[in-house]
Amino acid sequence: MVRKLRAARVIQATTELLVSRDHVKGRPPPGIPAWYQAVRTIPPAEVLTRPYPAQHRPLNPHQKKPRNLYRPTELVYPEDELRQDFYRDHPWELARPMMVLELDGEDARHRDWSRGLEQPGMRLSGESVVQRQLWLMENAEMSKEGAYDQARKEFYLLRQREEIEQRIAVEEARIVGAYFGKSLLRVGMELEDKAYEKWKAWAAAEIQKAKVAAAQSELAANTLPDASGEADGEAAP
Amino acid sequence: MDPRWCSQFLPQNRECTDPRIERKVDRTPTPAGDGRGNSTSTMIIRNTGVRHGRRALAAPVVRTLLRPISMLPKSALTSATTATATADDVNTKDAELRDALSAAMSYKRKREEADQLKAELAKIPQNFNQFVHIQKHTKGLGSTVKSRYEAGVHLRDPPADATLEMLLAAQAHMGANTSLWNPANARYIYGVRDGIHIISLESTAAHLRRAARVVEEVAYGGGLVLFVGTREGQKQAVVKAAQLAEGCHLFQRWVPGTITNRDMILRAQSLRVVDMLDRDVEGADELLGELRPVKPDLVVCMNPMENYVLLDECGQASVPTIGVVDTDADPTWVTYQIPANDDSLRTTELIAAVLGRAGERGQKRRRADASQGICTWEESDGVRHYRIKKLDEQRKAMEEKMAREDGEVKEEVIHPGDLREQLGRQAIGEAAY
Repeated sequence: MVRKLRAARVIQATTELLVSRDHVKGRPPPGIPAWYQAVRTIPPAEVLTRPYPAQHRPLNPHQKKPRNLYRPTELVYPEDELRQDFYRDHPWELARPMMVLELDGEDARHRDWSRGLEQPGMRLSGESVVQRQLWLMENAEMSKEGAYDQARKEFYLLRQREEIEQRIAVEEARIVGAYFGKSLLRVGMELEDKAYEKWKAWAAAEIQKAKVAAAQSELAANTLPDASGEADGEAAP
Repeated sequence: MDPRWCSQFLPQNRECTDPRIERKVDRTPTPAGDGRGNSTSTMIIRNTGVRHGRRALAAPVVRTLLRPISMLPKSALTSATTATATADDVNTKDAELRDALSAAMSYKRKREEADQLKAELAKIPQNFNQFVHIQKHTKGLGSTVKSRYEAGVHLRDPPADATLEMLLAAQAHMGANTSLWNPANARYIYGVRDGIHIISLESTAAHLRRAARVVEEVAYGGGLVLFVGTREGQKQAVVKAAQLAEGCHLFQRWVPGTITNRDMILRAQSLRVVDMLDRDVEGADELLGELRPVKPDLVVCMNPMENYVLLDECGQASVPTIGVVDTDADPTWVTYQIPANDDSLRTTELIAAVLGRAGERGQKRRRADASQGICTWEESDGVRHYRIKKLDEQRKAMEEKMAREDGEVKEEVIHPGDLREQLGRQAIGEAAY
């Protein structure tokens, strides 16, 4: 495919036009455009070349024929494995909503994982556990499992505290007149009831059908054909 | 749990359905008896005064008690009047009297209400002063919650430069899906994560700063910058940038031919001829009639993937372009690439803000130089053409006049037109001529 490089050669094309003596008859040759000096002093950046990409994983020294040398590599972090472990063990933590909106990009400056799981401006979540675990592994010289256990237990304590606070808050609210909507259990029960009613209607219809079929077959079995022989439509020979 | 709390705080008209709370307020009527089956007819209270109202069996009103009656609330009065109708020993004269009184008192009541309102209005200055006093003394109390981000902050207060943190927060590093990439953009990509290419923010920042310098220098050189952003939501960013750089904006569809066929498409647009201090030149009506519509000197495109026609026209007409190039875009469509996420409006706003501020700086420098007498630009082709044409005409007219009047003597007289032409030639350079 032939690439169109007009955009990249704007300055060259214009210079050639200015320098050449061929121009539209009856008109003076074109003057220097307002952007000319700017683009001449600030040339465009290099384009279309493919440099060797940044390697985010240590290269395999045994590989004799490495493939896809110029392809961008996968970004991997030590936290990835820790996150996988944590969310495998605590799947319901994924059900907790997470805010993905970035503020000013300076979150890392407000974090100090030596102080514990609770960090200013950050909600307690699996991410706190992972970061705390990593800090313990790197700074407190703990093993992965040991750091995981400690971080995990701190996390459980804080979650328990949260749950107690929520429960008391609900009670206090009810006392002063608040009322809440249906709880999840109530919603589940109602769905089950609906499904049951639906099944009951279906089952009643099936029973009715079966009864009708049984009555018909009984009738067919117990009634004798007519003496004249015309009841069942056969013409008398 | 103390049930007294319940009755105290629950509104009386709401039914409490919580079975845990025991309500001691019992609304069922008491039976006629002691509840053990013994009838206590003598204990039945048939006094209508107790069941229906306090004033059912009240004494008839005496004229001397007019004043106290006027203090009664309306409800008490009406209940009194209805009750008197049902009571046996009602005094009809008193009822008539009361009706007349109520009519008179309604006027009095209205006057009192008006006076009350007036008194309340008169208290406003005092209340306001009290409010201000309280605000002043309580302003410093409590914690100050500093907001680290508000939506649209880049529009309201455009930043002059974008740090790596700002670009990250604006999601400028999020490229397209790896399967949709253009390998020509491989040099801008840092890595792969979650199925998308991650653009290197260092390259983004470097390219953005280069583009900002170009915008600034073009604005300094008197160039017209066109900011284009045709996606939904890019309007505000593009308009703001154009305002800062004193250029033009486009947020709807680019009409094909607006550059290459501008004599037709832009023929209805008005033009201005200004001097180096941005003042309209007088007596330029004839010139304005002859000038061609203007081409932009620089085009900044926030979504080049949807503006191929515009960028192609710019290439044909030799107009330099700046474009926000995502990992699936073609980098050769634009002169200056800014590798960044073109799907994020926050990124668009940030980039437009930085480029707008750069244009603003260029304009400021240009005006500063102009006030010192330095003109940073040259006249445009159309104006130069018109000027040369006029000089030619002038010179021809002079020559004819000279030939007619005095055909023999041909002195080497330097006419003002010639001199100006010579000076003009020197200014532009022999090569261009």
